[in-house]
Amino acid sequence: MTTPAVELDGIWKRFPGVIANSGANLTVRPGTVHAVLGENGAGKTTLMNCLAGVYRPDEGAIRIDGREVRFSSPADAIEAGVGMVHQEFRLVPTFTVAQNVVLGAAPGIVNRTRIDAEVAALAERFGFRAEPERPVWQLSMGERQRVEILKALWRDARILILDEPTAVLTPQEAQELGAVLRRMVAEGRSVIFISHKLDEVTAFCDEATVLRGGSTVAASVEVASVDAAELARLMVGDVDAPPVNRRDTAAGDIVLSVRDLRAIDTRGVTALDGVSLDVRSGEILGIAGVAGNGQRALTDAIAGLQRTVAGTVEIAGTDITSAPPRARHRAGLAYVPEDRLGVGLAPKLPITENAIMREYRALRRGPLLSWSTARTFCDGLVRRFEVKVGRVEAPMASLSGGNLQRLLLGRELSGEPRVVVASQPTRGLDVAGVRAIQQLLVAQRDQGTAVLMVSEDLDELLALADRIVVMVEGRIVGEFDARTTSRAEIGEAMIGSRRADA
Amino acid sequence: MKRLVLTRREIPTRGGQPVAFLFGLAFALLVGAILMQVSGDPAIDVYQRMWERSLGSTDTWSVTFNRAVPLALAGLAVSIAATMGLWNIGAEGQILFGATAATLVGRLFPDWPGPVLITAMLIAAVIGGALWALGPGLAKAELGVSEIITTLMLTEVAIRLITYLEQGPWKDPEGFGFPNVTARPPQAELGDLWDRTHIGVLLALAVIGAFAWFINRSVWGYELRIAGSSRQTAAYAGISMRRKVLGVLLLSGAVAGFAGGIELTGTAVRLNAQISNGYGFSGIIVAALALMRPSAIPVVALAFGAVQVGGQSIQTSLGVSPAVSTILQALILFGAIGAAVFSNYRVVALDRQVSVA
Repeated sequence: MTTPAVELDGIWKRFPGVIANSGANLTVRPGTVHAVLGENGAGKTTLMNCLAGVYRPDEGAIRIDGREVRFSSPADAIEAGVGMVHQEFRLVPTFTVAQNVVLGAAPGIVNRTRIDAEVAALAERFGFRAEPERPVWQLSMGERQRVEILKALWRDARILILDEPTAVLTPQEAQELGAVLRRMVAEGRSVIFISHKLDEVTAFCDEATVLRGGSTVAASVEVASVDAAELARLMVGDVDAPPVNRRDTAAGDIVLSVRDLRAIDTRGVTALDGVSLDVRSGEILGIAGVAGNGQRALTDAIAGLQRTVAGTVEIAGTDITSAPPRARHRAGLAYVPEDRLGVGLAPKLPITENAIMREYRALRRGPLLSWSTARTFCDGLVRRFEVKVGRVEAPMASLSGGNLQRLLLGRELSGEPRVVVASQPTRGLDVAGVRAIQQLLVAQRDQGTAVLMVSEDLDELLALADRIVVMVEGRIVGEFDARTTSRAEIGEAMIGSRRADA
Repeated sequence: MKRLVLTRREIPTRGGQPVAFLFGLAFALLVGAILMQVSGDPAIDVYQRMWERSLGSTDTWSVTFNRAVPLALAGLAVSIAATMGLWNIGAEGQILFGATAATLVGRLFPDWPGPVLITAMLIAAVIGGALWALGPGLAKAELGVSEIITTLMLTEVAIRLITYLEQGPWKDPEGFGFPNVTARPPQAELGDLWDRTHIGVLLALAVIGAFAWFINRSVWGYELRIAGSSRQTAAYAGISMRRKVLGVLLLSGAVAGFAGGIELTGTAVRLNAQISNGYGFSGIIVAALALMRPSAIPVVALAFGAVQVGGQSIQTSLGVSPAVSTILQALILFGAIGAAVFSNYRVVALDRQVSVA
């Protein structure tokens, strides 16, 4: 048997209060695409960060081509031929594609035309479409990802780690990525493909290693010989996830009405280009779309955090287009923003202070706040929404993602809203957290609340929403009945006009 | 072969800041001693004298305590603004204008009895300090103009204003032609607690305590913390950033102005441009070393007061440059900031990476 390209042997990595990896193993053969599968929180990203030199494992050995290595920085890993494309891209927006690719690894004096030509040649070799002279801020997320991959290839990475690469891609872009990966392995390189989506794994990968709870539960399974259902069982364990309840309630009156909304973002680019939609009481309207197509501008505009240049927003017949955020909240709007820590919460402040953010004006005693009432209110939220907290005086950021979101959503729901606008409410949460948040949203819908939900997870929208609209470049390009539509149809709409001008 | 690497601690060590401060102090004394020895001054003697003349004997405590008062108030002023991520670099100017406003009241009502006059002058100082911060506050709130630039530049304006008053309208007619402002009314002098330690020490502690309590317990303080978390979180919670920015800079200026009033009625006899004595700038360091926590400000201010007072004494008694004191203050800050790194990072010894290529 050939020497493995990568061998991770009994890796342990602990963080305060959390064990991310407990004896995880991984063996990658050269010239293969190897999937690392696991639910959110299974320890995939931590394990890969150990391999890429971002973290140092507490125990265990890393072997590259059979030789043991110890990385103390990503630079060491790059030197050893390991490149990683992280979920959050690390690009300089004002630099061009070529400048980003060679940044930190430029051959002496940077000659722009030569660099452009070399980067273009590199891209062509792997079957990328690339325009080396374009600044990165103009690129779509999919294009930025290609720049990240080129960065790794420029440094001659023989082992490329991709952390959930398809999360930001349309289904069609994902297909293209698959083709690029095949070319790379054809050259004898190895690709480690982190994912929790089974269909991608069966489509792109040769072998798969499954992580659960920080350790390896199945090592180097040949993808062709294994059943997808079996992989799924390995990933989630024996507890199978019950589907979220859908009830065929008749939708009621229109509660949230958006008409021809237009907005321009801080860069002066059109973010909303005439969006109209209605959400009725007792229904969930899902918004699908590739990240960065105006979803955030839309939810922020409804919540009063994004200035609009035209159009109207009404809640239950009341025009709130120019109302400040607090008036919208009083009109019955609850908002779970996409950026939980940066918009919806104050991470460094105590949990209590975050819990009362909407209601603190009711806790006034003259110029002072009644902290005992605040405490009671917070305890009530914690109990009702099953938030796991140690001390409520601890900073908000000390909570795990799922508990953080429970508190945020709980706080929003405690005001008995008429409309809930939730942006990416389950992103990054563990299985239990996802299910809890989904059930809370469904329960709201069943009580007759109008729910507007933005998600990049099509399966989630298909499971929860009654109707789904697709946003592309600040416009709504299609509406689907979630009961009768398919992933493929929605995926087609998601790339819609984008394909036309590519 | 081993090499040392810094690794980020996921949770900063508890109590790291006091340790870092003490380390900074030790570091400053050590490096300061090396510098003095190199330049031919007897470091041990200098330190001994500095200690004697600042905290080493009960006679000199008063000077050090009185010195700590404006340092603590200026530190508080800086930390108030920093709660919201604002930098009031111009506390110096607000101190000066606060003292100017107090002087005006003294000139208008020279016959009022002491306690009444002092109260009026201190109120005027508070209003004066706030007024000096009003422009920067409005510019920041309405137009987004950097408060760092505006507050700093207004310090220059305050100095020129006092120079003008000294030479023109407020010139002392009995000053033998020297450009001095007429001395404040003699009855407008703060009483002493003991020795020469004036009541300002108590007033400063009361202001700091009241502020810490108010920020923790009030609706206003709560909104301030939310606004300091992020602009977007403030908008989400329905808090007007504009009003908070203006309010916080006015309050910061008011506290600095109060320091000016205390200086005028406590240790000075007349208004001049040196009355602020760099307290506004030292206050930034005090606030930084206290991690913007009001509760830590008095302790840090006292330590700084001791270094400043001790530093002055060595010039007169040993002929050593008073720059020693300035250097020590800077070294304390460097040392403490450097040491604070270790409460956020730990040092790990690693084997050299095994080469693979």
